[in-house]
Amino acid sequence: MGNNGSVERRTVLKAAGASLATLGLAATTGCGGDGGSSGDGTVTIRYAWWGADERAKRINQSIALFEKKYPKIKVKTDFQDYVAFWEKFQTQAAGGNPPDVFQNAVGFLRKYDKRGVLLDLKPQIEAGNLSLDNFRAGVEKVGQVDGKQLGIPVGSNTMSLVIDEKVFEKAGVKPKQGWTWDEYFAALKKIHDTQKLPGDTGYFSIMYLYDLYLRQNGKAFFTKDGLGFDEADLTEWWTDGYNRVKAGIVTDPKRVEQDKPKSSLSAAHGASEFTWDNFTVRYTAEGTSTYGLAPIPTTDGKQTGQYLASLMLSASARTKHPKEVAQFINFMVHDPEVGKIMGYDRGILATTEQFDAYKPADAPNQAIAKYETDVAAAGVLGTITPHPAGADTCESAFLRIGGDMSQGTTKVADAVKQFFSEAKTALAS
Amino acid sequence: MTLVKDSPPDAPEIRPEAPAAKKRRGRRENLAGYLFMSPWIAGFLLLTAGPMAASLYFAFTDYNLFNSPKWIGFDNFTTMFHDPRWQKSVEVTAKYVVIGTPLKLLLALGVALLLAQSRRGQAFYRAAFYAPSLIGASVSVGFVWRALFSDDAIVDRTQSFLGFHTGGWVGDPNWVLYSLVALTVWQFGAPMVIFLAGLKQVPKELYEAAEVDGAGPFRRFWSITLPMISPVLFFNVLLETIHSFQIFGSAYVVSNATCGPADATLVYTCYLYQKGFRESQMGFASAMAWMLLLAVALVTAVLFWSQKRWVHYEEDAR
Repeated sequence: MGNNGSVERRTVLKAAGASLATLGLAATTGCGGDGGSSGDGTVTIRYAWWGADERAKRINQSIALFEKKYPKIKVKTDFQDYVAFWEKFQTQAAGGNPPDVFQNAVGFLRKYDKRGVLLDLKPQIEAGNLSLDNFRAGVEKVGQVDGKQLGIPVGSNTMSLVIDEKVFEKAGVKPKQGWTWDEYFAALKKIHDTQKLPGDTGYFSIMYLYDLYLRQNGKAFFTKDGLGFDEADLTEWWTDGYNRVKAGIVTDPKRVEQDKPKSSLSAAHGASEFTWDNFTVRYTAEGTSTYGLAPIPTTDGKQTGQYLASLMLSASARTKHPKEVAQFINFMVHDPEVGKIMGYDRGILATTEQFDAYKPADAPNQAIAKYETDVAAAGVLGTITPHPAGADTCESAFLRIGGDMSQGTTKVADAVKQFFSEAKTALAS
Repeated sequence: MTLVKDSPPDAPEIRPEAPAAKKRRGRRENLAGYLFMSPWIAGFLLLTAGPMAASLYFAFTDYNLFNSPKWIGFDNFTTMFHDPRWQKSVEVTAKYVVIGTPLKLLLALGVALLLAQSRRGQAFYRAAFYAPSLIGASVSVGFVWRALFSDDAIVDRTQSFLGFHTGGWVGDPNWVLYSLVALTVWQFGAPMVIFLAGLKQVPKELYEAAEVDGAGPFRRFWSITLPMISPVLFFNVLLETIHSFQIFGSAYVVSNATCGPADATLVYTCYLYQKGFRESQMGFASAMAWMLLLAVALVTAVLFWSQKRWVHYEEDAR
């Protein structure tokens, strides 16, 4: 600075200019938004999904195929695990910058529809950029809300019961289509008495299973805008669950917590576990026994309450390239080659083109395919009940509070009250 | 810039300016100063003051990030006080602060006392004890911690060997918080360094005089060391307490992003995060943030008030 201690006017102006430039620069990098199209007509769409490395490999292969076929469309991907994905998505969506295409599930459809985030794909279907033909067992309905098509299924799955076949055999228990809950719990007791092993790893805090139980009894977990059951229903369900933990026929929740990220079934701390059928691949990878799929127990010996649920691809209502997005989704759900690459990673392939193209070579995937065929053949599949906005929060509250209850840290009555209070807040927001 | 006093004798004499010119020049200098500060001021307004004001406003609204905020007055605060999970988060955080902070400071002071004496390899020990403070806040250490305290991992095995099997701390609601306490205590390096600096300041003559008077090591510590380093102790207590209130990363990672099991690691910021980013109740989360600010301010005020009673300043001038 000048020796005489005063500052020249020019210096001041320069400094001002420099700082304004810095700010300006910060502003442009901060928004970073080009519209995703460049001079030669190539457009770039962003595709976000949740999952792990294995899925990333398959998706990148599929995208390479797509970009070869549509050289004017570039696809940029982004992935996280499930929880982180939705946290990031929510922030992006609130900031008006969600990805053009993203993986979605039924629990989030109404939530983001209500907030105007999801693109209705109907016009694209009518324009011929996207086809709704050839979906198996009407699974495309999973993506429909109030007459809009908000998601296109990529794969379908259904709730199932995974069992440790060796343990079940040693205990002399044979699950069969149409068995009842009484028979199931009797089987758990038999396993506990003869094999010194809890029979189930904690059925009572799985929202989607409780939904099946409610459906068997003419109710459902959700109605269009609220809960489809009352406190008395849940008190009964959780009291029984708690007593079964105490009796040792359901795995100690502390043990379940310790086994994470492994499942208690594959850690040999339980003999069966309810989960989505396409998740069952993990048990063979994690555990040392052989695992099989068994039918869901019933109330009346007939209805299991099962339906096909699905992972979907949805588009952002703000996308600048609805046509390209539709073409991309169309390719991902119909192209047979993509079916071969993706396999059952996101559930049993949703369209017949892809389902027929992929024939699993490994036993677990073959078992999943057979399970879905059997369930469909048994004629127990119903239509999915609505999942209102806030369903996702209800699910995690159900899991958490069910866990507290089974640990004995919360009394059943308090747990039920707390769940209803949290669900009410979630469904209102 | 050179001071007039130190100017060489042959420097031109500086004449006093006319008052008006001086004033004008002063204004110009101020302007220049502000201009140079402007990036920082802009940053402060945009990134600190603005968001804070916004969050204060959101604290009184129902806001889910998508719909525009709806003014609801103090509803968020009343809901908060009746929310059992909020109460649980306060309880968990209080427990963590009350148990973790004193343990950490005790260890820091103890090790500082050992390291204050000159001995061989002193520099190495200081570096070794300080290292955890440098890496302790990272997510990877959280993962390591989770692995250490899991079922059948090293801590569990050692325990079993000693005859009390708990089945790992991470999955047990009664134990998991102590693994977080252990993690913060392990990072005692930063307060230790400050204690060391304080210990170096204590005049040697005092100890020599006390020794002549026949005071033993405990007496010397109690009557000389402690009062002499009490300002440093106060500083550490203040800093570590405030720091403890803000625990988030370790609780989040060690609990596998669940703040569980059974909400046993549901520290305040963890619940705040869940409310804001998972349940999209930004209004409620903002209200929680301001409650935390108030609580920390209150605790700080109490500490400052209490220092009259136990902090000893050399000249007795505060």
